[in-house]
Amino acid sequence: MTGRVLVAMSGGVDSSVAAALLVRQGYDVVGVTMKLFEDGAELPDRPCCSLDATSDARRVAEQLGIPHYVLNMVDHFSRDVIADFVAEYARGRTPIPCVRCNTFTKFSDLVAKADGIDAQYVATGHYARAVDGALHRGVDDNKDQSYFLWGINRGVVKRLLLPVGEMTKKVTRALARELQLPRVADKPESQEICFVPGGDYVQILRRELGDAAPALSPGNIVTADGAVIGEHDGFARYTVGQRRGLPGGSADPLYVVALRPATREVVVGPREALLGTTLTVQGVNWLVDAPPRAGDEVQVRVRHRAPLAPATVDRIDGDAVSVSLVSPVSAISPGQSAVFYDGTKVLGGGIID
Amino acid sequence: MPQPPIYLDHAATTPVRPEVLEAMLPYFSAKFGNASSTHRWGREARAATDAARERIAACLGAEPDEICLTSGGTEADNLAVLGGWRVQQGLGRPGIVTTPIEHKAVLASAHQAAREGGEERLIAVDASGVINLDSARRHIRDDVAVVSVMWVNNETGVIQPVAELAAMAKAAGAVFHTDAVQAFGKLPVDARSIPFDFLSVSGHKFGAPKSIGAVYVRRGTALAPLFFGGTQDRGRRPGTENVPMAVALATAMELALTEREATCARLRALRDRLQASLLACVPGLVVHGCAPERVPHMLHLSVPGTDSESMLMALDLQGVAASSGSACQSGSVTPSQVLSAMGVAEDLASAAVRMSLGSLTTGEQIDRVVAVFPDVVRSARAMAGSFG
Repeated sequence: MTGRVLVAMSGGVDSSVAAALLVRQGYDVVGVTMKLFEDGAELPDRPCCSLDATSDARRVAEQLGIPHYVLNMVDHFSRDVIADFVAEYARGRTPIPCVRCNTFTKFSDLVAKADGIDAQYVATGHYARAVDGALHRGVDDNKDQSYFLWGINRGVVKRLLLPVGEMTKKVTRALARELQLPRVADKPESQEICFVPGGDYVQILRRELGDAAPALSPGNIVTADGAVIGEHDGFARYTVGQRRGLPGGSADPLYVVALRPATREVVVGPREALLGTTLTVQGVNWLVDAPPRAGDEVQVRVRHRAPLAPATVDRIDGDAVSVSLVSPVSAISPGQSAVFYDGTKVLGGGIID
Repeated sequence: MPQPPIYLDHAATTPVRPEVLEAMLPYFSAKFGNASSTHRWGREARAATDAARERIAACLGAEPDEICLTSGGTEADNLAVLGGWRVQQGLGRPGIVTTPIEHKAVLASAHQAAREGGEERLIAVDASGVINLDSARRHIRDDVAVVSVMWVNNETGVIQPVAELAAMAKAAGAVFHTDAVQAFGKLPVDARSIPFDFLSVSGHKFGAPKSIGAVYVRRGTALAPLFFGGTQDRGRRPGTENVPMAVALATAMELALTEREATCARLRALRDRLQASLLACVPGLVVHGCAPERVPHMLHLSVPGTDSESMLMALDLQGVAASSGSACQSGSVTPSQVLSAMGVAEDLASAAVRMSLGSLTTGEQIDRVVAVFPDVVRSARAMAGSFG
């Protein structure tokens, strides 16, 4: 017996394989599926739902012979993740709810559950690695999810078991077949935000903010020098770097380069206007004993799947860090995460201001 | 070597009794006939069904033609509540009176009646878990078709004043239904002494298989069927009779009735010991519905600082099977509507755990539950800690 581990099972291939591998390795595995929001298609007489994903997770757990529980975390998820998601859009920023979910839900609330059942370890199907108490990128560069994990409590890292972080997605799928998990082996990848079915986040904003909210009200599309070139129907529908939904007709394609919530303006410009060489990161969480200091060189990732960009730390002021990039990077968007790396190791990260 | 797990969820379901299994088995194979057939196979099946119906009737102080066999408690409740209401609503009686602490089968049937034009009224519940008779009196008027109040609440085990309610309904010209799913086998249930018009029972709560139940229909009480087809069960419940299940229900009911007093005495002693020990070892533990009369096998409690979900998970990992009393399809747990109706504060209503004792329960198991309980509470409090 190698100890008890609480595995967060989503019903997808990654966490299913993670659970199966841990069973094979001899851990005392307890599977849980977090219920994070109410399913839309409910009947009034039945205030609870049976999501297909939950059923898939339960079937996998049954097959593996491990106990499986559904944990209702709707209240905290709504407070910590959905409310922040809405508030950030209302401020003209582009949030990443997965980061908040990892920080608050999976690796805080769920760890409390693990504590409660005396589970020394917590496992997920993330493509990242925890080695000697440090967090590293997953071996599959294409799938690496370490970018979303910078906010977790440092003390939790040494309790993490991330079995699929050691392999490529292709190997994970092959293992799912080998482990007789055909139900999940060929499930399509879900790239959308779990509580935003169909990717229509504006629908969530309308529900939470109301149609009359400034973020969803008409405003001007302006150039950097103040010329009004059109109108939009809500700045929350726009993200820095976006091309879609802008007036055509100019010689060069236009991009959203900034949002100004105070005046409800969407600022547009040519592709070059998106380039930035400095950024300030707020609410930084460090995952290493000796965080970088001013003058140190680091690598920074400003968007999921963006290449690691060499940078120099200019200033550290509490949990705010300013860095200069060696080469300009396009579309540095407020609300997204900036994550600092040293090779494969995650040093820490924060929210781009 | 871990110790064998402990089943404290007899109010959810019970194992099929060996005597019951033995009695029903021939009707799957050698005696497989259709009770509606004219030939010898049919006669054999008909004889078994007729006998089963007589035996079930005898267990309820009823006549055989007053017994309608169903697929279980839910169908029995639907048939009585909705079937009873549909017959009368055309006669200027749109009202349907029930309580917020009913089983979903009754509540959802009442909601359906409301969608069909009914007027649903809920009787208030006192903090003790007993329905309020003054509130009942206000609601049960001469425009009411059906009054449906459960005999024993499935979460708290609290016994409801069905005799008074039946009399009240009768005086108002309404029919009275009681869901006796948790009462049969624990309380005397006799159609001759209490004037209920409909009564539901479910076999798997006392040693018959799942998916067999019955609704008692007092002679002369009109009922609109839910299904349409042949003339089986006087057209009240068309469909080929489930002979082995009818035999199983009859056998299980007879056994439950024969053993009722001894079972109740044994379970009451164990339950009271469990309750006293848990109260002694967990400061602040609250027992719900313990002031009024309660069936002897149920213990519904809340531990402050925990939630049901964490308690059930921690208990299960310690090998103790319990329930919150309000589990749902996805397995997640919502605050108890029964406790909310009793005015229990939300934090305690969200922490409810129901332990229900039965044939599998031993004194040694009770001691083991008491022994692990402080650990369970510590676990559950840690799990609930982030949900302060």
